[in-house]
Amino acid sequence: MEQDVLTTLKILIIGESGVGKSSLLLRFTDDTFDPEQAATIGVDFKVKTLQVEGNRAKLAIWDTAGQERFRTLTPSYYRGAQGVILVYDVSSRQSFSKLETWLSELETFSTKHDIIKMLVGNKIDMDKREVSKEDGLKFARKHHMLFIEASAKTKEGVQCAFEELVEKIIQTPGLWETDRRGLQLERDGNTQQAACGGYCSVI
Amino acid sequence: MASDEDADVFEITDFTTASDWERFIARLEEVLHEWKLVNNKPKPPAAKDEFTSGEWLEKTDDICFADFKFLITYHYLNVSGSKSESLDRQSPDNDVEEEEKKEDETPTVLTDLMSTDNDFPSKAHCLVRLYGLQEFIVITPADRNKAIDSESRAKVLLSSVSVALTNSSSSIPVFIQIQQPWRQMYCGTSVMSEMSVEFDVIHLTRIPQQYSHLAGLLDVFKSKLATQVTPRPTVDVAEPPDLSSPMEDEIGCSSFGSLPFGAIEDPISALQLFCSWYSLSEDMIVENQNYSDLDPLLAPQWTAKIKKTEDPQCLLGTYIHKFLKHCYSKETTRDLLWNILSEEVENDASADISQALHRLTENKVGYNIPSLSNVVSKAGSRLAVKQAEAPISQDTINDILLFLFPDAKDPLEKANDDSETENACENNNPSKFTALLESLPKRLKTAPTDSLVYRLAVCLCIVNKNYGGLKGLAQLWQEFVLEMRYRWENKYELEGVSKSAPHLGSCLLYQKLQMLNSCIEKKIQRETLFKGYTSQTNLDSNSSEMEVENNSESNGKCESENKKRKECCSNKLDRKTSDSSADDDDEFYECQDSPSKSPTELDKDVDEKEDFSETMDTSQSESSSFVDSVTHKPEGRLSAFNDIQLLSTGEQLYVPVTQEPAPMTEDMLEEHAEILAKLGTSAEGAQLRARMQSACLISDMDVLNFAANPGCVLEDFVRWYSPRDWIEDESTMSNDNTQTKPKGYLSPRMQIPGNVWYEAWQSAKPVPAHRQKRLFDDTKEAEKVLHFLSAMKPADVILQLMPCLIHAAIIKVVENDDSDIPRLKDILDQVITRASKVTRAFNQNAKHYEDLLRMITTLENMIAQAKSLRTKFTTDLWKDCDKEEELSQFLTQLLQKPEVDIEGASQGTVGSCLHQLFIAQQKEVNMIGEEESLSENKNSAISDFPQPSAREYILRTMAPRPAPYSKTLPQKMFCSIMVGHHFQLAGAFTSDSLFQ
Repeated sequence: MEQDVLTTLKILIIGESGVGKSSLLLRFTDDTFDPEQAATIGVDFKVKTLQVEGNRAKLAIWDTAGQERFRTLTPSYYRGAQGVILVYDVSSRQSFSKLETWLSELETFSTKHDIIKMLVGNKIDMDKREVSKEDGLKFARKHHMLFIEASAKTKEGVQCAFEELVEKIIQTPGLWETDRRGLQLERDGNTQQAACGGYCSVI
Repeated sequence: MASDEDADVFEITDFTTASDWERFIARLEEVLHEWKLVNNKPKPPAAKDEFTSGEWLEKTDDICFADFKFLITYHYLNVSGSKSESLDRQSPDNDVEEEEKKEDETPTVLTDLMSTDNDFPSKAHCLVRLYGLQEFIVITPADRNKAIDSESRAKVLLSSVSVALTNSSSSIPVFIQIQQPWRQMYCGTSVMSEMSVEFDVIHLTRIPQQYSHLAGLLDVFKSKLATQVTPRPTVDVAEPPDLSSPMEDEIGCSSFGSLPFGAIEDPISALQLFCSWYSLSEDMIVENQNYSDLDPLLAPQWTAKIKKTEDPQCLLGTYIHKFLKHCYSKETTRDLLWNILSEEVENDASADISQALHRLTENKVGYNIPSLSNVVSKAGSRLAVKQAEAPISQDTINDILLFLFPDAKDPLEKANDDSETENACENNNPSKFTALLESLPKRLKTAPTDSLVYRLAVCLCIVNKNYGGLKGLAQLWQEFVLEMRYRWENKYELEGVSKSAPHLGSCLLYQKLQMLNSCIEKKIQRETLFKGYTSQTNLDSNSSEMEVENNSESNGKCESENKKRKECCSNKLDRKTSDSSADDDDEFYECQDSPSKSPTELDKDVDEKEDFSETMDTSQSESSSFVDSVTHKPEGRLSAFNDIQLLSTGEQLYVPVTQEPAPMTEDMLEEHAEILAKLGTSAEGAQLRARMQSACLISDMDVLNFAANPGCVLEDFVRWYSPRDWIEDESTMSNDNTQTKPKGYLSPRMQIPGNVWYEAWQSAKPVPAHRQKRLFDDTKEAEKVLHFLSAMKPADVILQLMPCLIHAAIIKVVENDDSDIPRLKDILDQVITRASKVTRAFNQNAKHYEDLLRMITTLENMIAQAKSLRTKFTTDLWKDCDKEEELSQFLTQLLQKPEVDIEGASQGTVGSCLHQLFIAQQKEVNMIGEEESLSENKNSAISDFPQPSAREYILRTMAPRPAPYSKTLPQKMFCSIMVGHHFQLAGAFTSDSLFQ
């Protein structure tokens, strides 16, 4: 099975503390939910293989701590990520209003220009909603992101969010060809380039 | 058909008895079928100039005659519209019509022969030029050294081809290359129903006088046809004058700061002018030995072409190529420098080394070496160079080092230099590409253009070319590493490396130097801080510590979590009692720093600990320690935190001074991430990972806990650190009467027993940031960087510097580009896109850089060509404003297209300019032989143009062959006369195979 994995993708999960980043991840990877999920320290890491459009992609998902103080540490792990999931809590206006900060953080530290961004509004199972779906949509549109509302508790939207993100990454070939496996592809590309160079000098 | 039946009968025996000859024919037929060249409908003649503009494709296969191997190649013009046409042909409606038409249709070969739309294509296979064919097959010997040199062998092959063509009823012309390949001689045949075409070639190296003009050639043509005809010859006269003049460009380079650019030799070797006369009847023009109607000035069409020097040597490309070449070398710096490094440095150190170091600092104000011997013993010992054998002389290396480290310069000198560089910047700042140049650092993984790494890259590249190659490179690198160590040990920050944590978007070497700079900065900070601390707060804090110690002695209980705190105190006590001098601060920090400790140090530590616990009755309850700490003067407060009060005491919560987490370079990060990832995804792994990363958390707890806010609890910490995990509870009534005291509880996840936060808090000890174990161990990290640098082989250095060098090269190209060639911009964009990929690759790959370099060389070449052309056309005409635009357009076209038509021939703007150019050239040529010409030939009838270097004629006619009663069919002869080179006649003669 391992050898038909198309590529390994690095995905980040970021957002304010306590919005349910780790819970979303755990729901996706282990299909479990723990209301007493411990607060993440630094970064955590999970792996899952996903089948998207007949392609198997291995996902290395980096879950980060949301606390302000960790923010000096976690951006180091943004390097080389192809996709990012930006999470807020629909029951907390404050977690939504901090999104801009997270995006600028991402802009500063991600090494890939065309990183795919997804906005996830978590905890839609909660009664006390403070951020409407429209607000989320508006924000996502403004910043060219994918958008979905989800609940790690009820499972709603979680699988879909990850699948959608991976599909989008795979549809953007420049993003993942430089992957380790992609090196071979790149080499082919080179010979073409070289041929092109030769042609240029002929004329 | 009868032949089919025959074939059926013969089929069984055919293959068993097949001779080499039959097998060759069978294979040929097979290939023809495979390529679908059988029974094809005729194609329309190619559109005008399509031979030049269209795309030529080819297919190749093997074919053998006995054991002689041939390559069979099908060349054809990819006609864009052919697809739709072929569809039309296949549709059944048209079939009937097609059948009827078939009789009248002329086969492709014949239409091609007679088509005048594509005479003299500028670039095409030589057979295309000779016969104007749009599709044909060539059979060439596979081994270039084996040629078909006897006529009989050629005839055998040709007749086999005829058989194959007849069998498969294919009308495609097939050529066989005969004689040596360079002669480009082909004989060929094409077989159609009721007729056949013979292609034959004459190739002579000397030009027979009687055939060197049109009249003579017509005689040949007519005699071949053996009938009186009216050919319509078209004539082409090509006259390449040699316009090469040496280009002015800086050869070699004086500075170490910029790469050279430009071609050493003239990239344009000649300009050729083609004058063409199309479709003239035989009697319209006369050209014989004495007289010619073909005056270039009267030619209806002029075409110009430039001949470019093949692979001219370009400075930029050469420099970088020579540099990159070394990245395959395996030698280490030591291998390269073994003979010039004196080994007995240690013994006669003082003289040699002081000199070596002197070199770096000689007469410079910026430095102020504290004690030379100290530096020498630590850093200097490695590089004492025997001057006589060093590839770079001492003076040069002084200059280079001053260039790399301008802060070592005399301030006065520096000021001068600054103004100079400013001027230089103003000069070469083309507005056209500013946006592009600005985006470069973001797109490439490189270093800023004014940075040390960038300067080093350019400098090493130039050193490699001009000063001793790889050895010089190794020497300079060695000096550089030495300087790095010197700066670390003497706390001089690096200039030209920005003072921040390693920027992950820059190249690795730059990150490393940033790291080193951070270390130096930290070292300076640490030492000044400590000095300040000892002078001002030393007494205070020490006395309070004494108090604590006394308390703990009296309490007489032992708590493990307090052990560490005491260790810290004990160390201080030790220090205080043993030697209280401030010089010892380094040692103190080293002891605190367990991960980097050597075993012996560790042992010492343990000893100390034990000693201490023996001498003191160390036991203490947690509560008592807090009580103590309340009385203790808080330290390391940064600011008050949002008017929040401590839960236990109601005092203001202060944000403590914290330690920043250690900066990391990308390779460290990669390593760290890998370790974290390796822990796997299990719960234990996650737990372990959290612990590994909790250093910063614990450190923060420590400083908050005791130092800044004596008596605070985990809840207080959470309110500062993770506000969302503190849930305010308004309903709970406050038991105390203090209304300001907030009520609330920790979020469920913080209350889980045994979670990392809780555990960390339990083990937190009150220590201010500057006395904590260092999160960022600058000593260790600096040593790591220095080791990394000194362990690099010259080859590694080269590879790591390539991103900067490519960056520099692109800037150089952009600075020099003053032409408006769109293709140039395309390639430039391509280069940048590729460079951004290559420089970002995880493992730097020399091969990729070679490709990149090739593209950059192409760019350099193109720019050099444009420049060269521009200098050549700076005649008086050029200054005429009206014409300038037209001319510059023409020049641009010349560079882009293989051939450029000149509007209005000799009468147009460009034409007259060219005419002037030729006249000037002619004058120059005649000047040389002036004296002779004056004496011998007074009638100065010097023609405006030099003798044409080549003339080409195409003669065509319709004539019956072989007998007068045969069908009238197309006949064509191509003649090419190249003075001093060759004389070539290529005839395509069609003959009627029915009425002969």
